[in-house]
Amino acid sequence: MTATLELQGVSMSFGGLKAVDNLSFAVNENEIVSIIGPNGSGKTTTFNVISGLYEPDSGEILLKGESVAGLRPDQVHDKGISRTFQSLRLFSNMSVLENVLVGMHAVTDAGVLSSMLRLPSVRREEKAMREKAQEILGMFPGRFSGPRQQQPAYSLSYANRRRLEIARALASDPTLLMLDEPVAGMNPMESREVMEQIKVLRDRGHTILMIEHDMHVVEGVSDRVIAMDHGVKIAEGSYHDVANDPQVVEAYLGKRAAEATA
Amino acid sequence: MSLDHIVTVTVGGLTVGMIYALIALGYTMVYGVLKFINFAHGEVFTIGGYTAAFTLLALGVNDAMSPIVMAGCILLALLAAVIAPMTVGFLIERIAYRPLRGRSRIIPLLSAIGVSIVMQQLIILVFGPTPVSMPALALGSASFSLGGIRIRVLAVVIIVVSALLMIGLTYLVRSTRIGKAMRATSQDMEAAEMMGIDTNKTIAFTFIVGSALAGIGGLLVVMYYGSLKYDAGFLYGLKAFTSAVLGGIGNIPGAVVGALVLGMTETYGVSLDLGFLAWFVLAGLVLGLYIQMVRVPGRRLQHIAEDRRTPEYEKSVKNVYRLAPYFAVKTLLAERTDALLSVSAEHAVRLMCGNAFLAASAAAMFVFGDVRIDTRWQPVIAFVVLMVILMFRPSGILGEAITEKV
Ligand SMILES: Nc1ncnc2c1ncn2[C@@H]1O[C@H](COP(=O)(O)OP(=O)(O)O)[C@@H](O)[C@H]1O
Ligand SMILES: [Mg+2]
Repeated sequence: MTATLELQGVSMSFGGLKAVDNLSFAVNENEIVSIIGPNGSGKTTTFNVISGLYEPDSGEILLKGESVAGLRPDQVHDKGISRTFQSLRLFSNMSVLENVLVGMHAVTDAGVLSSMLRLPSVRREEKAMREKAQEILGMFPGRFSGPRQQQPAYSLSYANRRRLEIARALASDPTLLMLDEPVAGMNPMESREVMEQIKVLRDRGHTILMIEHDMHVVEGVSDRVIAMDHGVKIAEGSYHDVANDPQVVEAYLGKRAAEATA
Repeated sequence: MSLDHIVTVTVGGLTVGMIYALIALGYTMVYGVLKFINFAHGEVFTIGGYTAAFTLLALGVNDAMSPIVMAGCILLALLAAVIAPMTVGFLIERIAYRPLRGRSRIIPLLSAIGVSIVMQQLIILVFGPTPVSMPALALGSASFSLGGIRIRVLAVVIIVVSALLMIGLTYLVRSTRIGKAMRATSQDMEAAEMMGIDTNKTIAFTFIVGSALAGIGGLLVVMYYGSLKYDAGFLYGLKAFTSAVLGGIGNIPGAVVGALVLGMTETYGVSLDLGFLAWFVLAGLVLGLYIQMVRVPGRRLQHIAEDRRTPEYEKSVKNVYRLAPYFAVKTLLAERTDALLSVSAEHAVRLMCGNAFLAASAAAMFVFGDVRIDTRWQPVIAFVVLMVILMFRPSGILGEAITEKV
């Protein structure tokens, strides 16, 4: 079986800095894989390369066996990779509902003229989109109910903005969902809630690649964990194997501390 | 000065304002997505006017034609005045702007000025250096009478057509799929791309729509005034750009409001006696004083941090605005003041200068009550209005469409 996502020797540097260095890993269908690693270890850059924001210097990125390296971000999205952002990037002047609808842009095709004339086909599509958006927003019970959906995204609380990013990314029914630190800045109760929602997503058949610092969440949802440091993959395996890997401990705590705990 | 005259002038002002609005929308939409001013947009307007006039000339339109044939000819001219500018606008973006996207801001700006110069020469090359003239049609000078006041049919056509186009544009941007893509692109281009929006297509579409509106503006102008010069786009473009800034650059309803304000002041300014206009300035002064004395200080007070809020402190903030000459200057000259007070003082001085200017203008205008300003001064009036309004509202009447940063 081909993996949903496979990276083969992907490298990406900025000037002299190798942000991602010869990185290879795979994510299988209906699996949740977490990437951990200290700040600046190249996790977000890995996402950006997969999303098509940067073209990798070398290496291959395969989605279900098909290369997506070098495609434009919107083309990568069309192929089935959707994501959220570490630093929230909602369309903050647009309403909650509109944000989700923008996420569906690629899977709809109302043309300009038919939209302006409000042809029946367009109305049908709009209705279907709205219903689907409602359904996705409904995955976060009580968070985006009724009038909230018409509010601009900037008026939402921080945690709700994070939730809305996930909803927007889900709108296109992606083959692979990438979450960049989905619980960053949330309190423990909110993190737990998001963790449960990620589990629900797996039960619904989604395949997820996630960057996360919160070890409870990583432990709670991951089928597999990948640890990075200085752009290099330093460990891969089950949560417990990776968390106890001496190289990982060293990356997080520094060499001396790692020796002291050993 | 009769009521008839005032109504006639008002219709004239609205007509000019609507034309400015049609062009201003292109400036403001492009600014919305790319954060840069497409200086070649004025020439796109000229091309619309030229192709319309040349189409009508080529078709040999004349009053002997049956109304249906004539309507068909005008429709063809309209089509030409939409397609040619659309194509030009699309090509300009593709050739002169897209390759430079992502460079420092000054570079696309220079390119835009260059394109504007090149376009003017191309217009001369293609259409010749003499102004193009419309075939003389009865429609051009037709008018009807409303309660004894004569109103040109074309003025009404311009106002109605422009208003319909603006309603259509609003619907396009608010409710359609491509409109959502435009708004998403203007707020965060990279995020929009990663959400599956082809931003290149969206930007090209923005240019096409803006150019079509400017082209229709060109058609309406050449029909209304009967002729158009190859460099007409410069002044119209400048006025439209001013309108866009006046209303808040990047803000679509703002462009329309700014254009109407500009069109009205310009037309009123050179058509009515100063003594009459002085009342408007006086009304502006009342509004300006309200802003300085009530509105702005009220808002400032909300910015005071809870732990510093004392009645004395609130009073000193209010005083800076209300007794501006004394307290504001005193605050500015003082060795050490806190940030809120000194920012407020600078702001207050700016507002006060604006109000003083309005008061002085009103007084002077009452003194020279029966004078009328020469038409040549129209651009000066536009400039003065822009400066005064921006003094009170630096981000334009309706505010810039800046993304709320949170
Ligand atoms: N666009 C960029 N230009 C230059 N350097 C970058 C850019 N993006 C990331 N980097 C650098 O690449 C390294 C990895 O960053 P990042 O992938 O954001 O780390 P992480 O997400 O693991 O915290 C950092 O040193 C960062 O400064
Ligand atoms: Mg990161």
